[in-house]
Amino acid sequence: MAEKGEAAGKRRAKVVTRKYDAYVVAAHANGRLFGVGFGDGAVRLVDSENIDADPTTIAAHDGAVLSLAPDINPGFFLSGGDDGKVMRSGPPSVSELIAEEKGRWIDHVTAHAESGTRVYSVGKEATILGKKGTRKLKHPTAVGGLAINPKGKRLAVSHYNGVSLWWLGTEGSATVLEWKGSHLNLAWSPDGDYVISIMQENSLHGWRLSDNEHMRMTGYGAKVRSMAFTKRGHFLATGGADAIICWPFTGGGPMGRAPLEFGYAGGAPVTAVASNPKHDVLAAGFEDGTVLIGQPGPATPALIVMGENKAAVTAMAWNPDGDRLLAGCEDGTLHVADFRL
Amino acid sequence: MADAPTQIPVTVLTGYLGAGKTTLLNRVLTENHGKKYAVIVNEFGEIGIDNDLVVGADEEVFEMNNGCICCTVRGDLIRIIGGLIKRKDKFDAILVETTGLADPAPVAQTFFTDDDVKKRTRLDSIVTVVDAKHVGLRLEDADEAEEQIAFADVILLNKTDLVSKEELARIEDRIKTINPFAKVHHTVRSNIALDKILDRGSFDLNRIIGLDPDFLEGGHDHHHHHHDHANPLHDEEIRSLSVMLDKPVDAAKFSDWISGLLMAEGQNILRSKGILNMDKSDQRYVFQAVHMVSEGSFTGPWPAKDKRKSRLVFIGRKLNEKSLREGFAACAA
Repeated sequence: MAEKGEAAGKRRAKVVTRKYDAYVVAAHANGRLFGVGFGDGAVRLVDSENIDADPTTIAAHDGAVLSLAPDINPGFFLSGGDDGKVMRSGPPSVSELIAEEKGRWIDHVTAHAESGTRVYSVGKEATILGKKGTRKLKHPTAVGGLAINPKGKRLAVSHYNGVSLWWLGTEGSATVLEWKGSHLNLAWSPDGDYVISIMQENSLHGWRLSDNEHMRMTGYGAKVRSMAFTKRGHFLATGGADAIICWPFTGGGPMGRAPLEFGYAGGAPVTAVASNPKHDVLAAGFEDGTVLIGQPGPATPALIVMGENKAAVTAMAWNPDGDRLLAGCEDGTLHVADFRL
Repeated sequence: MADAPTQIPVTVLTGYLGAGKTTLLNRVLTENHGKKYAVIVNEFGEIGIDNDLVVGADEEVFEMNNGCICCTVRGDLIRIIGGLIKRKDKFDAILVETTGLADPAPVAQTFFTDDDVKKRTRLDSIVTVVDAKHVGLRLEDADEAEEQIAFADVILLNKTDLVSKEELARIEDRIKTINPFAKVHHTVRSNIALDKILDRGSFDLNRIIGLDPDFLEGGHDHHHHHHDHANPLHDEEIRSLSVMLDKPVDAAKFSDWISGLLMAEGQNILRSKGILNMDKSDQRYVFQAVHMVSEGSFTGPWPAKDKRKSRLVFIGRKLNEKSLREGFAACAA
């Protein structure tokens, strides 16, 4: 059952909260739809134009969804599951098998709309499904994350002791960015010059491709879990602390500079961040279920959802207009906030 | 309101090549135990056998903290457990099989290190299958065989039908020298009641002490009269040592001492465990560590009949008995 509530704080919003009986694994927006991947194998489509409408449930996987990404066409989502399937889900209730690796887990998926590229990974191998065909890329250890650069030309693949950069358009070996340790989620800066990885040991590592500069971003008290560049790339916002940590990427990058911290919400660590696509605004979800939004800076952020359920926020996404926000939690709670008031 | 997530018990199955691990694993998978297991095995496709889920792993060990060899963990386990806890259908227990040549430390350390793994699972026990016929030779030529015994909470001394009574006694004695704290079962073809190895809470000291009041009382001075072949223990061999303190322990002093000790000697100290009587608490403080990775917490009141004394055991190489005793004694409040 959906519950409606008025958000606390300065910013007024209409919030619709639903509860499902499965872990929210990942959430993204693509066009007017939000796609949410769940631990029961479902991909649920939430209409951002009508947040009161019941989401469409697509039974995409037999086990759990392990990863989800916006697919090539608006409204569609690509998901990988522990049933070995890569599925494409979309309206009205499209469920299409894209690839299958029997008996394996599809750990990661990503796609790039303009270049028409999909990528998924199974263990040490990443598979590119491009316009020119299929290509299998081997890595020394299991793949920890995948990210295609904003222009759709290069694929970054994280693994132990570094990140491999592959050109999508041409055959050839990878350029390996080395750094000891286990590298997980990846992000490209909007200008495509920085590649950042979240590491297993409560830190980030970054590389600037134009001059091979390294950067270590440390000092976290918890797993970082989530990161996002702000719209113009001025900041990299991350979880892993009891406030949103924003590393400055203007004026030469974060090397030797302290991050900006804002959005403290009582002491629980930030477990998910999402960057607004239209404004320099961030949303943060916390381990205690709190969700807040705000601008990087000292101003008090508007608290939009108080997590009554106290379950960690595991996934968040903004719609392309940046005026609706979805947040999902490990106990299956799904909030959608509409700020058009 | 969401309840605190329940912690799924994890049993780690180790044993040298050919000891009978696979036989035991097949028994767990085929026996009608009414429980649902997720079984993490080496290089194996994901297949369900009856109720259970079998997931293949790659034994990918990596070093945390930029290459600290004492902080090695299994990245594939973090990944797989991360996936399992997202599933809607839950498991009663997780069983992790390691390869015959594996050092158990990275597996155990994984359960102390990763936030999500710690929150959702608990290391129930490390079960080591030992081949009674060949273990003598293995202990001479393979460090892993010795380490697998040192890390064990439960040992299946298997293939006992292939050795004489005297030989068996000698082997068991050798095992007790390395690790006097593990529960040893004699088996043939890994035949054992599964409740003896699964969901034992062996890694949890409270439970063990409840089962066996002498646990932690055993010591390095275990007699060696069965050692008829002249092979005196030397420093490179793993042994165990227990230290005791009748006076209450000062928490800050203990914390300083143990963290300094494990920092300096963590490579040689494979495991340490203890129950401590802290001076400012009525609760029992339980401490355990795998190499340098440690954790401790207050776990509940002392049983009324218990004498409130503090006991600490170490299993490792090159243990300096004098310095360990003096160091622990200096932690008195």
